[in-house]
Amino acid sequence: MLSQALGAVMLLYLGVGLLFLAAGLWASASLNRLARLLFGAGLAAHTAILLARWWQSYHLASGHQPLTLFSEKLRLVVLQAPMSNFYESLVFFAWCLPFLAILTWRRDLHDYLGTVVALGACLLLAYASLGGVDSRIKPLMPALKSNWLLIHVVTCFLGYAAFTLGFGVAILYLAQERRSRPSLPPRSQLDRLLYQTTIIGFLLLTLGILTGAVWAEQAWGRYWSWDPKETWSLITWLIYATLLHARLVKGWQGRRIAWLGVLGFVAVLFTYLGVSFLLPGLHSYLT
Amino acid sequence: MSTSISNSRLTSRLWGQLTSIRLTVFLLLILAVVAVVGTLGFPGLYYTIWFLAPLGLLALNLLACLVEGLPQALKRAARPFTGEMALALPERGRFSWPAETAAPALVEEILRRELGRPRHQILGEEQVFFYGRGRLRPLGPYCVHLALVLILAGGVVGKFWGIEGRILLQPGIDGSSIELDQPGRKLPLGFLVRLEKFQVRYYEGSGGTPQEFRSDLTFLQDGAAVKQAVCRVNDPVVFGGYTFYQASYGTLPGGPVQLELTREDQRQSLELPFRRWVQLPGSEIQVMAVRVEGNLQGLGPAVQLAYRPGPGHPQFAWLLQKHPEKVKPLGPFRLALAPLKLEYYSVLQVKHDPGVGWVYGGFLLLLPGLYLAFFRPTQRWAVVLQKGRKDRWEGRLLGASPRSRETFLARTERLRERLQRGGA
Repeated sequence: MLSQALGAVMLLYLGVGLLFLAAGLWASASLNRLARLLFGAGLAAHTAILLARWWQSYHLASGHQPLTLFSEKLRLVVLQAPMSNFYESLVFFAWCLPFLAILTWRRDLHDYLGTVVALGACLLLAYASLGGVDSRIKPLMPALKSNWLLIHVVTCFLGYAAFTLGFGVAILYLAQERRSRPSLPPRSQLDRLLYQTTIIGFLLLTLGILTGAVWAEQAWGRYWSWDPKETWSLITWLIYATLLHARLVKGWQGRRIAWLGVLGFVAVLFTYLGVSFLLPGLHSYLT
Repeated sequence: MSTSISNSRLTSRLWGQLTSIRLTVFLLLILAVVAVVGTLGFPGLYYTIWFLAPLGLLALNLLACLVEGLPQALKRAARPFTGEMALALPERGRFSWPAETAAPALVEEILRRELGRPRHQILGEEQVFFYGRGRLRPLGPYCVHLALVLILAGGVVGKFWGIEGRILLQPGIDGSSIELDQPGRKLPLGFLVRLEKFQVRYYEGSGGTPQEFRSDLTFLQDGAAVKQAVCRVNDPVVFGGYTFYQASYGTLPGGPVQLELTREDQRQSLELPFRRWVQLPGSEIQVMAVRVEGNLQGLGPAVQLAYRPGPGHPQFAWLLQKHPEKVKPLGPFRLALAPLKLEYYSVLQVKHDPGVGWVYGGFLLLLPGLYLAFFRPTQRWAVVLQKGRKDRWEGRLLGASPRSRETFLARTERLRERLQRGGA
């Protein structure tokens, strides 16, 4: 049932992406309004699906260990957040994109920028539903049973999402620079949005790494163990740290910053997907 | 004399290089590249000169920048925003109001609505209303850099003064020392750890995913039990300056493994001492129990058997206690497993790390630092009022924000509009 609903949301995002595209092509404010409205509706449905899966997951888990105390139930609710395997992470990642874009871009979310966000979310959901990813709810292994799970995953994925938005902006910037099109957002706006998403992503990624380190210290007695995922998140962090220094201290702007944004996103992709599939490690339960 | 000049020039050039942003960017990228190489199958790389040298240089770079800029940043953050300073801000617009306007009150009202409560100062002929935020912004980057230095220092402290190893506990055999990560090295704890009980629970029908495993521990000092504690995953136990983490567990047979052999309707049982070759009666075949599992992929207790029909390489097979039908016959024999007596052993990670406090201190400092650096830009505005020709109010809007142009310009634009409209 939930997977069908998720399929519908995916199609809705696709439609929203096309609407934003049309709004850009015909410079139509009313199409933009409609697309934004539908985007909001899609996000609401997506949220409802996440909550429903959360409920399902909690329900299954409480079958394994009947609880009576409210505090125990609350803890189980926190533990059973639907973010503990690859499928769930894809669905949550897809949710983060429109959530962050609507929250931080507000009025800037229109035309091609809207297309980028909506199609990004649609692609992620398509991968989750059609990519042969195992969508079953699995019981948590002991290492994952920690109050840090929720905050760690949420901060990491919101960070990934911010960098993904930044990547979309960087690509638009580079396209705009090759051949300037009046229908695309002006370069100054793109430059500002890239910086804005990068600082949000950087803060969230930092939080994600810190919470992960504290958790690892509690679970294994090592806040850092050069696990491939850790290392790649550090690589991502270093690249974005470079971007921020280049911009804030050296005063770089425009094309070079956009290329760094692209490079950073490649590292994000590898941190998320490449590490899970190519390099075994502590995070390998994701696959 | 000339050598001291060239010396000081050399020092200042070196200092210049050490505090340069070029060095920072270069080191960040170098570290990223080396880290990439490390994940491609060279996990030891992070402890070699290739990684530690740029990391050490980065630490120097961070420290140099702190020494270079922190005093000034502190001074700037400590200096309150005054009317005199406000007058030095660049001009952003002018307006002119009729003489009868209650100008000071109106300016105050507009500023309060658009920004926040302004302060007021009279300087000669001029009335200055000014408002500033983000005074602590200059401290942000230094907080972040200090935090990173603390984290790196914590890592060094842990490396040199920390102890890390593991201890393998079996019921009935008290642990007195830990095996350090360097192979073959042991460190006496100075007390005893006793595993009273080890328990593991599996999820039902999940292919053997453990739901929880825990060690019930007793710590003994001079023969007396001092502390009892339960060690679980994500729930470590502290004793005697060490922290014990439930890392993993394994199983050993609690006695010889009992096999049921059937050969042409003739049944007999056979005892297999663990990890010793035993000849099957009346044949050339030799078998050895090499491993036991409490729950093999959710199929229940199991024994891994090595067997060889004669000289040559042994082969392996799993015997399942609850599923004799899945066990392949061995030559003329059909094999089954009598109920297994299992004994668990528990593996605990043991650690003493005086650097963790430094690292956590760095974490705590990093967050306000990032907030100040990126989300709390310095923004300053002022409105200067003066009586002009025919007693009209002449006003100037001033303002500056070095690091957040866009939001600043948008706010300033709104403010200018309100002011220019305001008198009418």
